[in-house]
Order: sequence, then C-alpha cells, then structure tokens
Amino acid sequence: MNVKTPSKLEKILASGQLAVTSECGPPRGSDPEGIIKKGTMIKEYVDAINITDNQTSVTRLCSLASCIRLKLMGLEPVLQMVTRDRNRIALQSDILGAASFDIFNILCLSGDHQSFGDCATGQNVHDLDSMQLLQVVRRMRDEGKFIGGEEIKRPPRMFVGAAANPFADPFEIRVPRLAKKIAAGAEFIQTQCIYNLDRFEEWMKRVRDRGLHEKVYILAGLTPMKSAGMAKYMKNRVPGMDVPDEVVKRLSGTPKDKQADEGINICIESIERLKQVEGVRGFHIMAIEWEEKVPEIVQRAGLYPRPVV
Amino acid sequence: MEEPKKIPRDWEPDILAFACHYCAFAAADLAGVMRLSYAPNVKIIRLPCTGKLDYIYVLRAFEQGVDGVFCAG
Amino acid sequence: MIVGKQKSIDEVWAMIQGYKKVLVFGCNTCVAVCHAGGNKEAEVMASMLRMKAKQENVDIDIQDSGIERQCEHEFFESVTERIEWADAIVSMACGIGVQFTAEKFSTKPLMPGINTTFLGATEKPGVWTEKCQACGNCILGMTAGICPIARCAKRLMNGPCGGSTKGKCEISKDLDCAWQLIIDRLTALNRLNEYETLIPIKDWSTDRAGGPRKVVREDVMV
Repeated sequence: MNVKTPSKLEKILASGQLAVTSECGPPRGSDPEGIIKKGTMIKEYVDAINITDNQTSVTRLCSLASCIRLKLMGLEPVLQMVTRDRNRIALQSDILGAASFDIFNILCLSGDHQSFGDCATGQNVHDLDSMQLLQVVRRMRDEGKFIGGEEIKRPPRMFVGAAANPFADPFEIRVPRLAKKIAAGAEFIQTQCIYNLDRFEEWMKRVRDRGLHEKVYILAGLTPMKSAGMAKYMKNRVPGMDVPDEVVKRLSGTPKDKQADEGINICIESIERLKQVEGVRGFHIMAIEWEEKVPEIVQRAGLYPRPVV
Repeated sequence: MEEPKKIPRDWEPDILAFACHYCAFAAADLAGVMRLSYAPNVKIIRLPCTGKLDYIYVLRAFEQGVDGVFCAG
Repeated sequence: MIVGKQKSIDEVWAMIQGYKKVLVFGCNTCVAVCHAGGNKEAEVMASMLRMKAKQENVDIDIQDSGIERQCEHEFFESVTERIEWADAIVSMACGIGVQFTAEKFSTKPLMPGINTTFLGATEKPGVWTEKCQACGNCILGMTAGICPIARCAKRLMNGPCGGSTKGKCEISKDLDCAWQLIIDRLTALNRLNEYETLIPIKDWSTDRAGGPRKVVREDVMV
C-alpha cells in the first residue's frame, strides 16, 4: 500500500502489521513534566501517542504544545483537534503550526459538549464539524489549499484520522456514518472503548459487508477498567458507552485489591479476541491516568516489540 | 425572614367570594331567601361562570386589601 | 414565533428604583402566546409591582398598557400619551420590541421585563421548544426538515456525535438528539440513503457572524 505522508503510524499500518497507539491527557497547568514522563513511559510500546484536546471540555495545556513536546523527544504524536473551541481560521492555523513541527498525524473530532467541563457557561464554536474538518485537512494536504481556495506554501503532511463510536445510537447509521467519514477523508479510525465485543463484531461485519475495512485502517479502542466503580460509572454516566453487565459483574465479583488486575486481564482478553476480527488493523489503548499500565498490556497482548519502519 | 405579626383576638379577615351565577351564587341567593345569615366579612361578587375569574381580579382584590379570595362554582 | 420568559418581580423591581411613574408595557403578539409579555402579563406584572411597592413602602405609581406589536410603528399611535406620562417604561416585549420602543422614545428610560429566549414553537400548552436560529441560509431541505443548527447542541451539520444515546442528546436526557430525529424522518421518508451526503462547510456570513442583518425590499416600500 502506498503511503502519502511521512507518518510512522501510516507506514506501520500500510505494512500490514498491527499498530498500537495510546493517548495522554495534558496537565491542568503549565508544567510539561507530566507529558514528558507519560511519553517516556510508553514510547517503546506504542507507535504513536494521541494528545487529547481539552477532553471532556476541561481546560488543559493545549494539545498542540504537548504534541510538540513529544515530537522534540523524538516520539510520534497524534494531534487531536476538536471543532468545539476554534473557528476555521484557528483550526487551519493550528494545523499549519503542527505541520511546521512535522507533526504527521491528526485526529479530527467534534469534542464533548462544554457543559461537561469547567467552562459550562462558555460558548462553543462548531464553525465546522468533524467531517468538515477531515475534508479541510485533506484538502490542505492533497491540494495544498486553504478553505478559501488560496495556495498553501509547504502544505501540511498529515495522516488523517477520525473517531468512530460503534455503540452510540442510532445503531443503523453507525456504519453509514463511518462510510461518510471515509468519504470526507478519514484514513484511519480510532474507535470508542470497546467492552461489548459482540456488538463491535456485528458492527465490523457490517463494515466488511460494505468493504469499508479496505478503505480505512480501523484501530480498536480499549480502556482498561481500574475498578468495578469505574465500570459502573462508564456504564451509567458516560454518553455513548456500552458496558455489558457481565463486565460489571466480573469486576464486582473480584476482591477490591484485585479489581485493577482483573481490568487489565479483561483488556488483554479483548485484544486477543479482536485480533481475530478481520478489518481490525491495530489497537488504541486509552489507559486514562493509568499510562504506566500500557507497557504491560502491550507486552502481555503479544504486541511487543513494536515494528521498526 | 420577617416574623409574622400577632393576629389580634377579635380580628376577622376580609374575604372576597367569586361565585358562579348558576350554582354557588344561586345557593347564596337561596340562603338569603331562607333568611339564613352568614358572616358579614364575606363579600360576594357574581360571575356568569367561574371560568370568567381572571387572575387579575384576584390580584386586584389583594391590592385593595382583601385578606382572602374564595371562589365557588 | 419569538419565545420569552418573564424576569422575576425582584429583578424588575430593582430596575425601576428611583422612578415615580412607571408604565409596564405589553406586547400582544409572540410573547403573549407564550404568556410572558402580553398585555395581560403586563397588567399582572404591574399589579405585582404595586403590591411590592406597598410592602416596601415605596411611593411609586405603576400603570400598565400594551399594544399589538412593539416592532411596528403604526401600533404606537394609540399609546403615545401613556408613554409620555411615564418617567420609565418596563417593556414586556422581546428584545426587538424593547429596542424598537427605545428608538422611538429616545429620552425615555426603558427596561426589559422579560428575557427573550428563542425562536420556537408551542409543543403543547406550557411547553415551547427552540426550532430556528435564523442563520439566514436554510438547510432544512438537506436535513429532512429538522434543523441541526438550532436543535443539535453542537450544531453538527453531519451528526450525530458519539454522545447520542437512546435518541437523546449527551447534554440532557430530556433533550431529543436532533440527528436521531433526522434519521428517523429520513427512514420514514424512505430516504435514509441521503444520510451519507456530506453537508458542505456552511457559509456563516448570513448568520450573526456576518454582522447585523438587514432586509431591504424596494418593491414593497411605500
């Protein structure tokens, strides 16, 4: 398969090997140490690291600056960019800024609603939506043009990704929605955390029925549960999350001090099962404030060492 | 919050009654015909129907110092 | 129509402090339908304020009046005297009426009696919902007659987002997901295939972004 960008993530996916990505949330302050530490901790175990963009609408150190940190450390960042906080001028400007540091991956998102965060009374922008942002990045890269049509000197070279949630409602448009994102320009997909594997497999079957797995690299998203409490919270409180009762029961039935280990076990078992699913081209491990567990998960899931490309 | 004032022993509230022409007011009328007496601190206003009771009537009553409004229909 | 919500008596009371003659001025069209600022509501607001004045022992004359619409010159003729009488007006109209009245009576202090909430419809008695944001460039033809700009919390042109759950929006279980409604309607119309048409980047210059808007029609001028 041809690669269109210098992205390491793209190269690994194009080579047919399973890719592994992870993500880090920037700190709520200006000290870069947290990002540096998290990056150092997992760098040998993943191919690229997503940096979240003010996730759950809580103000944090910006994704772009954090990505630059990782890049300067020689790591491969994935710039997450939400359309909630910036208009089309700022979005394009930040894309150019990222490109100037040779950040080669971008994930286009709409972002959680601001009412979940620390600025609930703030405005949201949504000048573009995530699909339109995909189109914008692709046009900037492939045609070297801004939204306004003017030429870009040294266009960005970015491997363009999007998120997909196989579990959100309505289920019947989950696959058409993926098709729409691919049509808009998505080249890789990182999915929402998967706990309901049956439903995910059903979604993947429909993805294959339409041949979409040939058009986009799908990375299955996983978040290890730290406790039964977290499982219940994810099940009941997090919009668009599908946590089956068995997962909650399995964790609840485990002694408190062993629940975290059991969460890791579930995650690894899921990876093993998902490896068998045709069209799954890698894994996106989102160990929320638990990055230190990523090496263990990657090793035990047989995904270590990471390929060199 | 302000302490409610002590109510004097002999105090009687002024009550305004809105009564429907066809039932409650007719009953009051009948009481009159039968020479039954009722409290003089209740003043009755006849309405063609209690559906005519606009809330501005109630507010105006209170504005003019009525202590309670009674509606029957 | 324009939907509004009455301000609290205390808030209005605070605004009229210092004035001796106050006219509570109703607008009997849109905001009357939503029981917020019609002539009836103006009458009630005036009554409540008079009682408040009595309780607070403040000497102030509060009257009420109203017209059909505070956004058209013609309706004001009948009330010019009443307005001249007052040394302050509490306009119960939407933000449009308040400003229009203020422009007409440039030396008269004017306070809003309601909060203008949105452009919406009466779902059933007592329930009003937002339907339009007056973006100036209608896309309802592409979205099965349901506006994602007004009714999606993220105004997504190509929704729904991943937060849509059981037909409801991620921000509230009481709020329908606009994109679920669009999909349901596309399904009912047997046009679900149209869902995959990408709605292009929107020209927001016809919206607030383009500055205050104005429509000029020479053919209907007199």
